[in-house]
Amino acid sequence: MTRARLPLYAFLVLLFVGFLAPLAWALSGSFKPRGDIFGYPPELVPDPFTLDNYRTLLTEQPFGRWFLMSTVVAVVATTVSVFVCALAGYGFAKFRFAGKRLLFNVMFSSLSIPFAVILVPLFVILVKTGLGSPWFALIVPWVAPAFGIFMMQQYIVQSVPDSVLEAARIDGASEFGIFRTIVLPLLRPALGALAVWQFLQSYNSFLWPLVLVSDSSRYTLPLGLQTLFVSEQRQYDLVLAGSVLAVLPAVALFVLLRKQLLEGLSTGAVKG
Amino acid sequence: MTTTVAGPPGAARAHSARGREEHRPRRAWAPYLFVSPFYLLYVLFMLVPVGVSLWLSLTEWVGLGTPHWVRLRNYRLLATDISFHRALGNTAVFVLVAVCLVVPLALLIAQALNTRGLRVRDLWRTAYFVPIVVSPILVALIFGLIFDRQFGLANAVLRSLFGTGGVDWLGDPNLARISIALVMLWRWTGYLTVFFLAGLQNVPRELYEAAALDGAGRLRTFTTVTLPALKPVTAFVVVTSFVGAAQIFEEPYLLTGGGPAESTLSVTMFIYRAAFQRQQFGYAAAAAVVLFVLVFGLSRLVNRLLGIGRAAS
Repeated sequence: MTRARLPLYAFLVLLFVGFLAPLAWALSGSFKPRGDIFGYPPELVPDPFTLDNYRTLLTEQPFGRWFLMSTVVAVVATTVSVFVCALAGYGFAKFRFAGKRLLFNVMFSSLSIPFAVILVPLFVILVKTGLGSPWFALIVPWVAPAFGIFMMQQYIVQSVPDSVLEAARIDGASEFGIFRTIVLPLLRPALGALAVWQFLQSYNSFLWPLVLVSDSSRYTLPLGLQTLFVSEQRQYDLVLAGSVLAVLPAVALFVLLRKQLLEGLSTGAVKG
Repeated sequence: MTTTVAGPPGAARAHSARGREEHRPRRAWAPYLFVSPFYLLYVLFMLVPVGVSLWLSLTEWVGLGTPHWVRLRNYRLLATDISFHRALGNTAVFVLVAVCLVVPLALLIAQALNTRGLRVRDLWRTAYFVPIVVSPILVALIFGLIFDRQFGLANAVLRSLFGTGGVDWLGDPNLARISIALVMLWRWTGYLTVFFLAGLQNVPRELYEAAALDGAGRLRTFTTVTLPALKPVTAFVVVTSFVGAAQIFEEPYLLTGGGPAESTLSVTMFIYRAAFQRQQFGYAAAAAVVLFVLVFGLSRLVNRLLGIGRAAS
């Protein structure tokens, strides 16, 4: 039995190394002096080991400000979008109304619109209407992802019993009151999953901030690191340290909440 | 008819919902209020931009002053623009990589992870998923470290194994495309695996037992039981990865800059370059409209072929 499983485990271990070794290599590089990062033969354990990259980065670059910018934007966008998605998901899951099928199809088909299509016009519109400020433009257009609504709708169909809603209506509760006091608490696992996912999407987004943010005091992490990389003639030391630091919170968040996230993400697709 | 996508259980519940609504017409506005924030944002930040894109694509505009009405000239120029053809071709290659390599590999890994009694399943699943939560900038740095021509890890490994390195991973057109494909595999496979795994865990065990009783082999069980049961998940995964790959930007932009000789230039990079580096907003909008028509049309087609988006009742 166990011997028959050997190839299976070998396959899984091979993948494990394949997926994580590149990350380990980056982590190791961030502790090497500039000259050793590309040294031959390659050494996984840095020797000499140095914290200079981190020290220089944190003292000479506005890393803290980039981090704050990215985090605040991601937290606000996440909070709003989770709420918007839960509202719409509930509307689709528990009501029957004229035009529902059309509205649902419109929502669902927006999954097939590539972002590149609206990149140029959205930029033009926001700048021309004076809404190009990062605080607005990095957040507001992104708080209603169709994927999140779809996920919420699927989850609500499966896990919010009609009888509970019915009872609350007989008790005279308002529709929004029912949503807030009964539905939202039942959705906690799905809300958590969606929140993690939205946070990561916003925290890691690159193309839109690249287009939108020109004021360097409003740079997000990916943008600040990219600019630093270019201005350092593509030298790896500082940027590598910065990227490792930037990625740590994202990975930590994912590892902590992975069960919720992975199960929540797949609810929608599986029920199909 | 809860939705177009929900299965029979949802449909059954929707019938009771209908009864309830008919009893309480005074609350008929409630669902509209619930879905309205989404549609407000959708109109402002999706429909309006798509419309503006169509209009801009018929103009010539450098970003200042008034756009010049040029009718279909941008499209005519695109039709003969060799860079745009390259971008379309490269993007098609990336889409093929996503749909024909990443998706099947994700299914294979999910199959392996679905083995009964597998140890530390959570560890495998988590580890494989990590690349997708990593910032694209770190992804680019990592693969820059690996694919560097002189001192990269890939060549160092080749040199110690075979005595020769010196492969110009990012400098040769074909190798550069292969390198981008490898990055895509690394980044997306574990993410898609999660969906397949959830789908596999939802296949009723009795179906497998019945297949075993019929004496079906492993391959036959896979094609007659697993694949049909996975259809909705597969449709979702195929469409997601298709749309994702069709708008690929970060990997080529950060790793190769679209080079060498535009061999990894994607359509999204083409649009970005036209608008924000060359101030040809009308031209960029026309390229975006072409991308929209292709992606939207094809993904609707895939949806139809694989049967999602079809009414469930």
